[in-house]
Amino acid sequence: MFDPYYLQQLAIGLSLGMTYALMAIGFTLIFGVLNVVNFAHGEVYTLGAFAGLVLISATAPPIVAVILGALAIGALAGFSLERLAFKPFRRFTDEASLKSRAMRESTLLSSLAVSIVVREALEIVFGSQMRSVPFEYLINTPVRVGPVILVTGDFIIFGVAAAMLIGLQFLLTRTRVGLAIRAVSNNPLGAKYVGIDTDRTIITTFVVGSMMGAAAGILMGLYYGAVFPAMGFTPGIKAFVAMVMGGLSSIPGAVICALILGISESMATTFVSSGWSDMVAYGFLILTLIFFPNGLFGARRERV
Amino acid sequence: MNAFETMAPADGLTRRRGLLVPALILLLVFAALPALLAGFDKGYFYQIANLALIFVLLSASMHLVTGVAGLLHLGHAAFYGVGAYTAALLTSKLGLGFTVTLPLSGLVAALVAFLVALPTMRLVSIYFAVATLAIGQMLYLVMLNWVDFTKGPNGIIVSKGFELFGFSLSGRLGAYYTVAAVVTLSVVAIGRLSHSYYGNALRSIREDDQCADAMGVSTVRLKMEAFTLSAFFAGIAGSLWAHMTGYISPGDFKFSESILILAMVVVGGLGSLPGAIIGALLLILLPEGLRALGDFRNIMVGLVMFLSILLLPKGLLGEVSALRLVRRQLGAAWRNTGKGEGIGWR
Repeated sequence: MFDPYYLQQLAIGLSLGMTYALMAIGFTLIFGVLNVVNFAHGEVYTLGAFAGLVLISATAPPIVAVILGALAIGALAGFSLERLAFKPFRRFTDEASLKSRAMRESTLLSSLAVSIVVREALEIVFGSQMRSVPFEYLINTPVRVGPVILVTGDFIIFGVAAAMLIGLQFLLTRTRVGLAIRAVSNNPLGAKYVGIDTDRTIITTFVVGSMMGAAAGILMGLYYGAVFPAMGFTPGIKAFVAMVMGGLSSIPGAVICALILGISESMATTFVSSGWSDMVAYGFLILTLIFFPNGLFGARRERV
Repeated sequence: MNAFETMAPADGLTRRRGLLVPALILLLVFAALPALLAGFDKGYFYQIANLALIFVLLSASMHLVTGVAGLLHLGHAAFYGVGAYTAALLTSKLGLGFTVTLPLSGLVAALVAFLVALPTMRLVSIYFAVATLAIGQMLYLVMLNWVDFTKGPNGIIVSKGFELFGFSLSGRLGAYYTVAAVVTLSVVAIGRLSHSYYGNALRSIREDDQCADAMGVSTVRLKMEAFTLSAFFAGIAGSLWAHMTGYISPGDFKFSESILILAMVVVGGLGSLPGAIIGALLLILLPEGLRALGDFRNIMVGLVMFLSILLLPKGLLGEVSALRLVRRQLGAAWRNTGKGEGIGWR
């Protein structure tokens, strides 16, 4: 069992899981405040990666600047996404229409439509082929730790993700903005009554969530060295799975489930070909929905 | 005297009008269009016409589960794929013809749908959507990765075209007539299902499933039936696609196709069968008409979907007006037979 190969797969799985976790947090935050699923989240990931790529080919800045640039684009994407695809469908703010199925489904479909437009626009601008990241920016210099050979990317991803998680935790529990976000996700109408600007809070949530998604995108782009318009789809679905497994509204649950997903996926590639490894995520999702409909870490829900 | 009688009086005028519009539609599909197609005599136009008809069937079958029963289905293309692969494998491995593969494709797709529906149909709202997404992706992965059986990304060549009990119908016009006949029959069947007491029971699930349950409607069973039936018709569409193009690969059945079908139903109007048909025609013919725009035509699909959700939340032909249209013009009004049967399950 102590074959170093498994330890190595574990490390790869952890980095993979960390990027899923960053994505899943975006999903969870947005689901928390609006009770809707943002299907354009995968495109935010892609936009982050492309922003980094454009920055690299334009000015060749240090890697920290690349990540910061991707974060800025992510924030912008989150802001405009909320304005375009979600705000117009929040014309009515009474409780009945906030909970109505029609509202939820129209925002789901509008975010889907926006994601199609963004992906196709990226394909027109950059072409649908994979574009490779310049060699000197790749974060895969091997590092030897005991019996295991890791790459620098594993450390960078782990470090950036951990920093962002801690930052998020600080934001949510120690600042007024975080308090507002938690209040809105707890009870939107109640938050409005006590004087919280719900509209601004929702935008803040989108900006924070999308920054995390964009960070995941650029990190994975540098890790694998390939950036293409359809790259956001698979991580988007995985993060979605992690969110559902974690119980839809629980951030720690989503992070833990994202790590479980990442690790089990990279472990699965040792037994089956990589094409089948996606099956793991979907299998987990179906099993969770059937046997733990509240999610593994979620609070009790009335109906599933 | 029940309420439905006053809504649509079953007098001679309505009955005669009820025959006019279907007759016109049949005339258009089976006489005017083929005449036009034969006039142009370009293979490309036949392809577009067949493709549009197949997507009309897909959109109509999704209308049954997403529009009428209100279950957001994100994996419909996978069942379309199951039907297409059934037809292709039966043809290439066993040498069976279209007459046999058509019903078998539908049945196999329905069987797969029934099996996956057994554990998942108890879920509601977003959980159901997520489950269908996962099921669709799993089926897609099987098509893509089970190389020994499905030949994986290489796809399968379907050597046989359309035929009917040995008569070859593989010419351009023959193929068009076969597709048109199968699609028309299926759409009529779906129309009868969704404009009946059965369809109303499905609508009651959509409006409030807890209330429907309390009123004695067996919601889980009805959901499973709607899901399985819609997969059956998707499988039929898959078989048509396989025999029409002569080559299928997993790329035809991926997530984006499910979304395209969903967009058709949404653009047309959730819960409206004529709307679903119009949506399918629009989203297939518009990109072809916009071929001059080149790469921008895929963006158009997204834009049309976005704008129609934003500006026409009820769709091009909303459910209420669609129901009125179907009852008045297509002769689908409920008529009291006068034998004291009353309202009930048929």
